[in-house]
This record gives sequence, C-alpha cells and structure tokens, in this order.
Amino acid sequence: MTSSPIITLENIYLTLKSDAGPVNILRGIDLNVSEGETVGIVGPSGSGKSTLMSIMAGLEKPSKGSVTICDTPFSGKDEDDMARFRRDNIGIVFQSFHLVPTMTAIENVAIPLELAGRADAFEIAEQKLIAVGLGARATHYPTQLSGGEQQRVALARAVATQPRILLADEPTGNLDGKTGELIINQLFDLHDGHNTTMILITHDEGLAARCDRTIRIEDGKIAAPQDNREEMALEGSQT
Amino acid sequence: MSGNNGESLGLAIKYARRELRGGLKGFRIFIACLILGVAAIAGVGTLSSSINEGLRANGRVILGGDIDVRLTARAASSSEYSWLEGKGDISSMQVLRAMVLANESGERLLSELKAVDNAYPLFGQVNLTLKDQKKSQDVPTNLAQEDGVYGALVEELLLDRLNVKLGSTLTIGTLALEIRGVISTEPDKASQGMALGPRVIISTKALAETGLVQPGSLLRYHYRLKLNDGLSTDDFRDVAKLDQAEAGWRITDASNGAPGIKRFVERVAMFLTLVGLTALVVGGVGVGNAVRAYLDGKTETIATLKCLGATSSLIFRIHYIQVMVLAFVGSLVGLALGFGGAILASQFLAQALPVPAVVSFQAGPLVLASAYGLLTATLFAIWPLASARETSAATLFRDVVGQKKWPRPFYLGVIALTFALLVGLAIVTVEEQAFAIVFVVAASAVFVVLYGVGILVQWLAKRAPKTSIPTLRLALANLHRPGTATASVVLSMGLGLTLFVTVALIEGNLREQVQDQLPENAPAFFFIDIQNTQLDEFVKAAESVEGVSDVNHVPNLRGRIISVNEVPAAKVKVASDVKWVLRGDRGLTYAQDIPVNATVVAGEWWPTDYTGEPLISMSEDAALGMNIGIGDKLTVNVMGREITAKIANLRRVDWSTLAINFVIVFDHNTLAAAPHSHLATAKAPDASEAGLFRAITGKFPNISVVRMKEALQAVAKILEQLSSAVTATASVTLVSGILVLAGAFAAGHRKRVYDSVILKVLGATRRDIFKIFLLEYALLGLVTSLIAASAGWLGAYMVITEVLEAKWTNLPLTVIGTVVISVGVTILFGLFGSWRALGEKPAPILRSE
Repeated sequence: MTSSPIITLENIYLTLKSDAGPVNILRGIDLNVSEGETVGIVGPSGSGKSTLMSIMAGLEKPSKGSVTICDTPFSGKDEDDMARFRRDNIGIVFQSFHLVPTMTAIENVAIPLELAGRADAFEIAEQKLIAVGLGARATHYPTQLSGGEQQRVALARAVATQPRILLADEPTGNLDGKTGELIINQLFDLHDGHNTTMILITHDEGLAARCDRTIRIEDGKIAAPQDNREEMALEGSQT
Repeated sequence: MSGNNGESLGLAIKYARRELRGGLKGFRIFIACLILGVAAIAGVGTLSSSINEGLRANGRVILGGDIDVRLTARAASSSEYSWLEGKGDISSMQVLRAMVLANESGERLLSELKAVDNAYPLFGQVNLTLKDQKKSQDVPTNLAQEDGVYGALVEELLLDRLNVKLGSTLTIGTLALEIRGVISTEPDKASQGMALGPRVIISTKALAETGLVQPGSLLRYHYRLKLNDGLSTDDFRDVAKLDQAEAGWRITDASNGAPGIKRFVERVAMFLTLVGLTALVVGGVGVGNAVRAYLDGKTETIATLKCLGATSSLIFRIHYIQVMVLAFVGSLVGLALGFGGAILASQFLAQALPVPAVVSFQAGPLVLASAYGLLTATLFAIWPLASARETSAATLFRDVVGQKKWPRPFYLGVIALTFALLVGLAIVTVEEQAFAIVFVVAASAVFVVLYGVGILVQWLAKRAPKTSIPTLRLALANLHRPGTATASVVLSMGLGLTLFVTVALIEGNLREQVQDQLPENAPAFFFIDIQNTQLDEFVKAAESVEGVSDVNHVPNLRGRIISVNEVPAAKVKVASDVKWVLRGDRGLTYAQDIPVNATVVAGEWWPTDYTGEPLISMSEDAALGMNIGIGDKLTVNVMGREITAKIANLRRVDWSTLAINFVIVFDHNTLAAAPHSHLATAKAPDASEAGLFRAITGKFPNISVVRMKEALQAVAKILEQLSSAVTATASVTLVSGILVLAGAFAAGHRKRVYDSVILKVLGATRRDIFKIFLLEYALLGLVTSLIAASAGWLGAYMVITEVLEAKWTNLPLTVIGTVVISVGVTILFGLFGSWRALGEKPAPILRSE
C-alpha cells in the first residue's frame, strides 16, 4: 500500500489582474509528489514555474483548485498560518540567495530556528554551516561572502529545521558552473541524507535529469511529465 | 517540527537591533525633523516654566510683600490700617501717573510716580547709582528732606528725556525735588503693570506736598504686608473676607505676584508651543517619508523573513521598535537642544524679561515635548509600517512590488487613537483651551487640504495637455511618476509656508493698525486727573491753541464689579476675552447723553432728567461675553460704596477710534456727587502738539498728559518683540518643511541618477537634463507657494476681520515674498541634490544595474 503524496495539487489555476486584462499564469495543474521524491521543473521563461513553486510554498493562493502539503490543506489558512507552516515544513532556496544583509551567516541560518522558539538555535545553525563547509565564516556578513558562499549559507538556512520539503528556484542561476555544481551536489547530499522531498526549478536539462522526475511546464500547464527513473531503467536495459 | 512559537518581544528586539546595524542612512532627516520639533516645544516650555517658576519663587520680591492690598482713589481708613498692621509688618505706597518738570530745561514728561514709606522695600533691594557714592543705598534715607528739599530716585530714561542729571531739580505738582539717585533695579517693578513713562520714586510725605492728591485723583494705594509668623496668605484672605468684606480691597498674594505677566507669558508660551507642535507635525511628514523609503528598501528582507516563517505581526514589531528607538534618540537630542536653547534665549531676552530668567530643569515641559515627539513619530510611521507588514513573500518569486496594500483596520484605529492623543494633549495642557481647539482644527484642516491638493496636482500633471516642449513634458511627468515626492513636498513645505504667511500678514496688519491707522483716528493727547474746579479753564486753555479741535471730557472714577445678579464676580462664568472686565477695578463714568462713537443697540438710554434707581449702559461685547443683558444687575464698589445698578441698555463701541469710552456708563444721577476727576482728549495736528502740551502742563501741573503717539509706540514695541518670537518659532516650521523637502529629494536621488543616465544614453545633453530638473522644481515650488499664500492670506484675513474685528490691509509684498522664497528654496534644494546626478557617467551605472 502506497502512502499519500506529500504534495497534492489539484486543478490549480492562477489568474492575475493587470491593467491590460487578466493574465492566466497557471491553467489547470495537477501534480502529486511522494515523500522523498526529487522533482525537476523545467520550462521556458514565463511559463509559470516559479509561480507553481510559490503556490506550493503557500506564498500565493491559487484562483482555483486545491493544495495539500504534508496532509495539510491550504484552503482557509491565512498568511500567518502559512508562515508558521513554512517554518516547520518547508525550506526554500532562491536564485538570488535572499540573505538578510544586516545579519551574519550564522544569524541568517538561525532565523527559522529562532522563529520556532528553539533555545539551541545557534548551536544547530553552527552545525549546518559546518556541514556546508562554512563553519569558519559564521560571523561574516553576506557582503563579505562570495556568491557561492552566500548560496551555501542559504542552503544551510533552508535545511536548518530539517524540513520535509525543500524548494529550490534556480539555485545555481547566479553562480558559475563549478560553484553551481558544488551547490547542486550539496543539495542532493542533503536530500539523500534526510529523505527530504525536493522540488527543483532549473533551466539545466542535465540537472533536471538527476531528479527522480522531470515536469515540463509550458504556458501554465504541465506539458510532459517524465519519470527519469523509468528512463534510466529503460536506458540501462537497452545497453 | 513544531516547536514553541518563538515570536516573542525579545526576538523582535533582537531582530530590530540587527537591522539597525545597517546604519542610520535614510534616517538622518527623520531624526533631524524630530529633533527640531521637540527642541522648539521643549525650549518654549522650559523657558516659560522657568519664568513662571521665577515669578513664583520671587513672588514676595516682585509683589513687594506676602500680601498686597490695593485700593483705588481712596486711602485705607484708620480702622482698616490698624487691622492690616495687626497682621504683620506693613509698608504703604501710592502709585499714580504724574507730569515731571525739569526746572533747568523747562521740559516736561509723563512719569510713573511711586511714593513709598520708610519700610520700603519689605523684600528685595533697590539698587541705585547715587549722586554721593559714599551714601547708603537705603531708599528712605535718599528720599528724606535735606536742607528742606526732598529727594527723588529716577530711571535713567528720565535723565535722557529731560536732559537732566544727578543733582538736578525736578518739579512734581507744586513740589521741587532733587534727583539723588538713578534706579538700576526696582524689585517690585514687574507687579506694577505697563509703564507709559519712566519711574520716579519719592516719599509719601513728599507726595502729600505735591498737591497731586485730590479727591477723585487716579491714585492707587498699596499696602504691602510681611505676614506674622504662622499666618499664611490663605489664612489672611479668609480673615479679610470675613472682617473686611465691604472694604473693596483687591488682594494679591506672593504666589501670583504679577498675574498680568504670568498670563502674558502663559498665552505667548501656549501659542509658541502650538506653533512648535505644527513644526513637529510637518516634521512628521518627513518621518513618514523616511520610514516609507526605508521599508521600500527592506521589501526583500521582509519577504525573506516571511518565507522563513516570520508572521506579519513580527515584521511589524521589528520595524516599529526600530522606529521608536530612533524617535526616542531624536527626542532626547531635541530635549537637550531645547533646554540649551532656553538658556540662550534667557540671556538674549534678559532685558525684556520681568524677572531674572534662571532656566532650570523643568520636568513637565520636557516630558510633554518628548511625548509629542514619540506620538508624532508613531502617527506618521504607523501607516508605512502597517503597509509593509502586508508585503507579500511571493515578491521574491514574482515582482508584486508597487501593489501597496492599505493597513488593516486595527492600524487605522491606532492612527486615529494616536491622533486623538496628540490633539487631546495639545488641548488639555493649555489654559486657553478654546484657542487650542481652533488652532488644532485649523492646522488639521490645512494639513488635509494640502495633502489633497498635492494629490490633485499629481492628477492634473498626469492629465496636462501634451506639450511640444520635451523638457516641460518630462518635468510634468516627474511630478506624477511613481515614487514622486510631489504630495509630501506640497504638504510639508505648504504647511510651514502657510503658517509663516499667516503670522507675517497678521503681524503686518497689526503693525499697520498701531502705527498708521490708529494714530490717524486717535486723539493727540489724553489728559488725566482734571479736577472739577479746573475743567472749564482746561477746556478754554486747550481750545485756545491753534489747530486744536474735538476737546472732549468725561467724568472719571474707578470701581470694581463685585457681583453679577448677586453672584460674586469670582464665581461668574465669562468668556475668556472679557475676563478682564471682572478683574480688578475699572474706569467708570456717568453721562446724561449717549457717548460719542457709540450706538445703543438694545434697550433705551435714560432721559436727560432721569432721577430713578441706578442704571447702567454696558458695552455690547462685554455683556455678550458675560452672558448678561437688559434688566440684569451689577453691583459695583466705588470708593468703598457698593452700588447695585440695572442694565438699561447696551452700546456698540468702536474702540479703534481711541476716543474716550467706557465698558460701564452710569446714569448721570447716581455718581455725580462722588468725588471724581475728569478725563479729556483733544485732537491736534503735529505742528500744534507741542503748543497744546505746554499750554496744559504749564498751567495745570497736576494734570497728567499721555501723548498717544508715545503710547502707541510703546504698544508697537511690545508687538514687535512678540512678533519676533512668533516669527522665530514659525520659522522652525518652515525649516521643518525644508528638511522634509531635502529628505524627499534625497530619497529620490538614486532614481534621479538613473533617469539622468538613461536620458544621456538617449541623447540628452546635461543642459537639457538641467532644464528638466529646473522646470520640475520651479513648478513644484510655484504650486506650493501659491497654495500656501492663498491659505495664509485666508487665515490671516479671518483672524484680523472676524476675531480682532479690525480693518484688513493688503500686504502684497509679504505674499509675493513668500512665493519667491518658496520657489527659490525648492529649486535650490532640488538642484543641489540633482547636481551630482548630472555629473554621473552612464557606463558605471548601467553596469551596476
């Protein structure tokens, strides 16, 4: 018997109003993600990838459809409820890092732990920084860190509370190739280590192929879901 | 994991501290605006409280005793005097205005004459420069007869005006006296009221020989007491009320030794505080702008924190704490500067102040000023804070910036409550609450109107017809583009300018009244203390001088209103502007016919052969303020006799003619037999004034002559000093507005640099860009100044014509000056900020974007 998906999106629509008229960003998305699964989301710019991710993160409400994450339906929840839910269940890594500039590396990592009221917030934060190789840079501010280092801090922050779900929006988009690869490896290491469900938006088809599944979004719809595990199994049987 | 919610106040404080590590950039104007407003209020409050504290602490010296009992036109009877003697050490004094003749030069001058006994002064010290430096400073010694001649102590001004010196001889009435000393300090001067001439002190014995003390002479008798041990001033009042109820005494005690000055100081302080509060509110606009700009720059951080699990409440608390910490710091600095400013001002105003202004730490004004500062910061910061609270975390994924949300109803309620607290505090902390309410309502209305006009200007700029002049089109576009400072510049500069224009126009109109209009209508001289036996001779002598006309005279007595319809005067509720009618004694007269320049507006004038019960004609304004009318009764104490009279009619009096007129006129029958003197006026062209003066003073040494020009000059001088203080404080509002202007331009600097660079890339020269900026700022300054000039004109017009009921004088130069200054300042600050933008090279800017 299979357990219920950790992420369930049913018939998701998102329409935004603009001066030029309504804009349909998402047009009927259905998606189930199992716990521990890695899903790559690819698609052209403006296709709705980031919007889909923000809906999963509870940052936007769909115009239509239902969202259930970790057996928690999002309907009826207000903004603060969602903030607390994210604190406890979801980690997010952004393309532009989004570290708080007036806080040191360790303080940035400690934020979700402090918000959860953990007395050992800084001890855990230190461990997470060490895990990403930045134990020696704990007291440095973001402006004193390179792009790769900033993203590693952001990574440590995203996993500080050991969330069940990790969302990464083009995490290597602002990094050079070598640094980006380092980050991705660390992402997958963290997934492997804790069986975290990971949703990864990327332009890199190769990176998407590393995920268990790739979903292509085009024009607000899922164009072609692809099970990479099946693909790999097929390739393996053909050689 | 679902640990305990860690969003405690402690976490908010921790995060606020971390945020403040980013430095105070963007908050300098915020802090400067608060400092300015708080400093103005703290300075005014500290100085006025210190003056009042000085009045209270030096009460005995200022009053000349623990108690001062005053009688008008009659001395205390022997039984009254014995009664007073039994209560403590007593010193008696008589005060009157008298002409002084310099025997050598023949010049005459009106003086404030004071006759003192051997016990003077009971408290304090009179400091003298004596003819004989070796002599004692003791006043009675210097006034005593030497070789048959009494001494006189005079103010330096008299020496200058009469061209005399120590040792010269003066004649007062029929008595010659020697000037033996020059008064450098007179301890009880402040309690004596406004002076129309220099002080002369002689002994009571000398006064008796001058011939000036006649029945009905306008003389005040003062009996100062140093109370016996164990007898308090309250005890004295209680006992006096019982034992001397009919005596008609006016009792003042040392706790309020100079009530007139105290009232004046409080009124001026109140007005200046309200003006300072306006400056603070203008600064509040700067606070709001700074907070908004700061939070706009924090959008990413706020969204990040929300992504990480922070609730909107935490976001609000973090930033509110930061704002309040900065507001607290700004208020503290403002308090320190205000206190320092009060010390400086007290030195600067030392000559003008009635008491030594020893500025001391006054907790009340400082607490009030800081409360105003913190409340203002809250009032203007809540809206942007509450809006930022609603920042969507989704902005990190998608640009939702620009979709500003309204604050939740709770925060709108907080804004309303803070406003109510601010207004409430402004009203309850002043004496004249009605005035404060009007001021607050007017300022709020101007604020709302100016804000609305700012929005309207943006709306109109957006819809202005397309022009073929590109620089003008771009300048107009800058007035309504997103993030423009138009509304807040119109509001903050507009409010400061409006106040400035209002004050300048009111002051200008009052100056016109006092210096030009009043003298045109006013008589040249007032003559006081004309005895019955002298009246016909006086009129003949006056009319004999060429050019003299309109010699009018009326009987003159002094009396005090004891009760109104049997309600004691102290308990009668009157409008604040007519309280003076019930305070102290009044000039009274009687008449057979309706006085000149008065019209009966209610009731009937008594017939010329009237012989019935006592009747009164009352001035319409006073009756209205006292809420009384035809048929009501006043009980008046005249020279110890209480007369109850019925109001028979109300008169409308035109006070601006400065003709003789009285609030209360009795029927010609009731007071005719009472001892009294006469008042007279006469009109004379400039060329005849000297002749009339000599004719009267030469023949009638007892008649005091008040030259209207000099009296009006004295008023003009007070007005000038007052207007300087008011203008200075109004300038604080203007400076506040300029700070907000500077802040608004500074906040838009980055955008301005970017715009300049793009225009350069597209082919605009620096000259083109300069013209765009110049036009933008000129338009902004012009619009602001036109609105301010109109609002200020309207406000001043209402005050002059409706409140003061005076004639309006247009002062176009004042208004034009305001427009020019406003446009100039706006252009100056705008171009100063934009100058750097003009010099930026495009490449580095484009690369960094």
